[in-house]
Amino acid sequence: MKAIIALSILAVLNMFFGVRKMKKVLLPLIFIGLIITMILNISDWGKSVHYFNEMFIADNFSIAFSSVLILIGILIFMFANIYYKGVERPLEDIYALILFAIIGGIVMASFGNLILFFVGLETLSISFYVLAGSKKFDIASNEAAMKYFLTGSFATGFLLFGIALVYGVSGSFNLEAINTYILGCNGNVPMIFIAGMLLIFIGMSFKIAAVPFHFWSPDVYTGSPTLITAFMTTAGKVASIAAFYRLITIAFISLHSELTTTLTVIAVLTIIVGNLSAVYQDNLKRMFAYSGVAQSGYLLMALIVLGPKSAGILLFFVLSYVIATITAFAVLMLIREERGTFFIPAFRGLAKNNPVEAFAMAIAMMSLAGIPPLAGFMAKYNLFVLTAEGGYTWLVVVAVIGSMISIYFYFKPILASYFSEGEPQHKIESSVNFKINILVLSILMILLGFLPQVIINLL
Amino acid sequence: MFEYIWLVPLFPLIGFLVIFFNFRRLKGVTAGVLASIMVFIPFVISLFFFFGLMNGAEAKTVELFSWISFNKLSIPFSFLIDRLSGLMLLIVTGVGFLIHVYSIGYMKEDAGFNRFFSYMNLFVFFMLLLVLGSNYLILFIGWEGVGLCSYLLIGFWFKNQEFNNAAKKAFIMNRIGDLGFLLALFMLIHQFGTLNFAEIFSKSSAIPVGTFSITMITLLLFAGAVGKSAQIPLFTWLPDAMAGPTPVSALIHAATMVTAGVYMVARSNLLFVLAPVTLMTISVIGIATALMAGSIALFQNDIKKILAYSTVSQLGLMFVALGSGAFTGAMFHLTTHAFFKALLFLAAGSVIHALHGEQDIRKMGGLKDRIPVTFWLFIIGSLAISGIPPFAGFFSKDMILIGAFHSGYVLWVLSVAAALMTAFYMFRLLFIVFWGKAAVAADPKHPVHESPKSMTIPMSVLAVLSIIGGFIGVPALLGGSDRIQVFLAPLFSSSEAFLKHGAEVSESSEILLMTIPLLLILGVIFLAWSFYVKNRNIEQEEPERSFLGNLLYRKFYVDELYDTIVQKPVAGLSTFFHDTIEVKVIDRFVNQTGNLVVWIGKNIRYMQTGNVGAYLFFMVISIILILVLNLFK
Amino acid sequence: MTDKIYVPADYVPILIQSLVALGFVALTMFATHFISSKRKRIRTLRKDENFECGIEVQGNARFPFSVKYFLVAILFVLFDVEIIFFYPWAINFLQMEWREFFVMLLFVALLLFGFYYIYEKGALEWNNDE
Repeated sequence: MKAIIALSILAVLNMFFGVRKMKKVLLPLIFIGLIITMILNISDWGKSVHYFNEMFIADNFSIAFSSVLILIGILIFMFANIYYKGVERPLEDIYALILFAIIGGIVMASFGNLILFFVGLETLSISFYVLAGSKKFDIASNEAAMKYFLTGSFATGFLLFGIALVYGVSGSFNLEAINTYILGCNGNVPMIFIAGMLLIFIGMSFKIAAVPFHFWSPDVYTGSPTLITAFMTTAGKVASIAAFYRLITIAFISLHSELTTTLTVIAVLTIIVGNLSAVYQDNLKRMFAYSGVAQSGYLLMALIVLGPKSAGILLFFVLSYVIATITAFAVLMLIREERGTFFIPAFRGLAKNNPVEAFAMAIAMMSLAGIPPLAGFMAKYNLFVLTAEGGYTWLVVVAVIGSMISIYFYFKPILASYFSEGEPQHKIESSVNFKINILVLSILMILLGFLPQVIINLL
Repeated sequence: MFEYIWLVPLFPLIGFLVIFFNFRRLKGVTAGVLASIMVFIPFVISLFFFFGLMNGAEAKTVELFSWISFNKLSIPFSFLIDRLSGLMLLIVTGVGFLIHVYSIGYMKEDAGFNRFFSYMNLFVFFMLLLVLGSNYLILFIGWEGVGLCSYLLIGFWFKNQEFNNAAKKAFIMNRIGDLGFLLALFMLIHQFGTLNFAEIFSKSSAIPVGTFSITMITLLLFAGAVGKSAQIPLFTWLPDAMAGPTPVSALIHAATMVTAGVYMVARSNLLFVLAPVTLMTISVIGIATALMAGSIALFQNDIKKILAYSTVSQLGLMFVALGSGAFTGAMFHLTTHAFFKALLFLAAGSVIHALHGEQDIRKMGGLKDRIPVTFWLFIIGSLAISGIPPFAGFFSKDMILIGAFHSGYVLWVLSVAAALMTAFYMFRLLFIVFWGKAAVAADPKHPVHESPKSMTIPMSVLAVLSIIGGFIGVPALLGGSDRIQVFLAPLFSSSEAFLKHGAEVSESSEILLMTIPLLLILGVIFLAWSFYVKNRNIEQEEPERSFLGNLLYRKFYVDELYDTIVQKPVAGLSTFFHDTIEVKVIDRFVNQTGNLVVWIGKNIRYMQTGNVGAYLFFMVISIILILVLNLFK
Repeated sequence: MTDKIYVPADYVPILIQSLVALGFVALTMFATHFISSKRKRIRTLRKDENFECGIEVQGNARFPFSVKYFLVAILFVLFDVEIIFFYPWAINFLQMEWREFFVMLLFVALLLFGFYYIYEKGALEWNNDE
């Protein structure tokens, strides 16, 4: 709760300074604000405070995922000046929208009530719609915003309908109360209730871009400004999966066995379609969109088998995904800035002229592909072990095959930067600051690979 | 104070990273100095630990973080500091530091100076992991890591194809042993459900002697040791490993890495005593290796090869000690051997350095007066390895011989024979190289010169250690208190007591056991003197050799034997596999699978039409499917 | 929740209504097909027009007009909607403590800030041709 208040104040202050045209103040202000928010957020650790008639619950789970969301904010703003280099405008509107989206995400990780859940979801989504179109004079950005808005509001409609049905049958928006209602039914849950629950899940599947509700993501992620794409893939996924997990484990835990088949089918489809579609992409940004779809499939696996450790594993997976994706996008933005393209040949000879960037990119891609001993590998490994222990060996087999396919496309930029034979591209000038940032992130990815239990045992 | 044990491996790792990532930038000897400091700091820390242990500090397991936890198996990343690892720490960092300093002088002219030091620091890091690991998995990581560094350093001058082949040979031979080690790890997990030393050893006390599974585990562990410590049948890589720079031979292929096998067996002594069959095997293989390598060394002409075979032979003796239950003896010999063999290698390096890369001893001679410092150091080393009192080798060899005596006269006689060979080939080497006249006229452009201070000082320190190193284990008979026995007693006393055969050796026979070999060794040295100094018969050309002589000169044809019975059939088989199965079946299958994936990827993207209407249509169909399938089942 | 337990038969009226609704659409579509003349349909410009009520269409409805209308309209709606929050507050005003008063003050402050923001951004400047 403190985090939300702090972030709101931060966003308002940011808009104030922006409108006064004090451009130089904005980024430092946001950094300080985000760090204070992070501290405030973590200071509630272990207390499990409930606010407003169980509307908002700050337990360890929500604090952990909120921290990841705030971390995403810090990382995104870290690279904001790379992306908006040369823009004279203070850009406070975009920054404010990013901050509001994070607030929405935090609400989605902490709700105890379906209404608040919906409010958080919409705060996040509407910020995203606008952010996707924030490059006003770019037709692709406009297309992305329009498509996102149309499909998104369509899915939101179903979600809201689902919430309404669930409320209509159970008589409460409170997650615990819904669970009590299900238990009270003694196995005879009305069909309408199940339909409502399924509709909620369909809405959530849309938000995390699971097949067959993923169609928006490649177009939206390709069209949006790159920095915003990096933000949407990470923050959207983290907040949605946290909300999804909360819904399943608190409200619908008693019906979990009914859901596993549907979830499994969606997870399998997501992994296969996501990875296969990414194979043919030479446009890295689009490839990231598809690989993001595939990663959602892995995330869903954690919801299928609920063990004592699945929350921790989910957190670790999300954290490693966030760090790797943002690092890769940072390098990608730099290259796009210089070469004007997202295609693989832009990476040619990167290792020779920009060893730090090439190294960070390689580490990020290998972590996403799940090459030991990086963080991504440990995340997948723990997830797969969890799934296998739950008796879904064949699902693990599918996931492993998916990971193997993913190596093909994740390695494309690495191969281009280290082993390409063609004429290498010229050197890209980048600040020392940038180099240090991506190096620190790379080291973090390596370190996390050695210390997965530290994160997993948090929850 | 042991909480800070993680600092010890951290420094070499930092050194490696810093040098490796800056190796184009570091100028002059910076990298060498940095690398040496990064080994010196852990050495100082180790000294503190060691004295702490001497004063009775308890052994301690320091858990850094929980690393792997899977079902019931949990493997923490933790270090164990006890008397055994404390001793090894001191050897690794101490000798390692001296050799680093030496290398600064030795490698000065080399283009790969920085690369060399980064590898050396990496090696020290892995060796420290190996020594400090508190479970078999960390030991295994160190084990593999030092193997990797050994490979990198043998093939250090990678432009020479022969050196590369030597590196590959070392790597592959080690791999064979490692397979055994790995299988042993799996069996340990199966048997004990853990890889932690402490847990395994406490659980093993409940297991009766001679159980099949323990015998298998120990045999497989020993197979790993055979590979790493170059015993029969996997010893041929070590002589070839001399392709690397001489400091590498001194550090890795004499003082530390090759002794890892001995360390591992000593560390697992509580398991090995439960398997008499394995102990028997170790003794047999140890003595066979000692004799075989010793006899090969008798007629070699390459100065480093002689030392390499000598190393193999000395390792054989250590395994004899292990096999007969004299674990302290093995560790003692390991320690003293680290001193004097490092000294000998470094001195040999100094000779090679002085002669600008000449390694054939027949082309040397008369160096006594031209490089006096090296000469005296070499003499000290030779006396120490031959077992002349009061040099270090005498005491440790004596302890091994007594251990062998406990296991039977035959073993003792054979061990003495191995010791005699040692004395002979070492003094042959000494006499040929330093006495007589210069075999080849000195090149005026490249005069023979003494090595720089950075090389002679580390050697001198090692020489001092070779002289006094033995005093930590002076037996009671000679008025000593046998401190190493006392020091290592907490680790070995129970297993050594477990194996005690019959009565103690009486005092008079112990004197006999000490003096007989000593007299014989002196005789052998005299023999060598009469051959190579008095009569000075050194064949410059390839002589006609008797069958036996040829057999020894050709190293028992072991390489050729392996070539015929292993390499050729395997090569034939691999050609078959490659040409037929690989290319025609597997490759085609793999390629087709890859093509299929790309094909699907190419076509699946047509689902992404870009038309929002189509997206919504797909979504609605899916929603209807999900609802219908779930609600009407 | 009521205590009444619904059985499938209770939904019959809904079913009937749905059927009638669907049936009507289907029936009219079907019927027009049969009622219309058998001759091939003549397409003329007039006939294809949206509104065939006699008055001719003047120009295109989709002509660009200033976004300022839109902006002002949406800002009006935005601030208008906020008034909804004042009603319940005003009704319960007498039972409230000072705390609630300050809460509403905060809310108004935020609204005012929003107004300040759009004003400074120039959203309300009408004669600004750039």
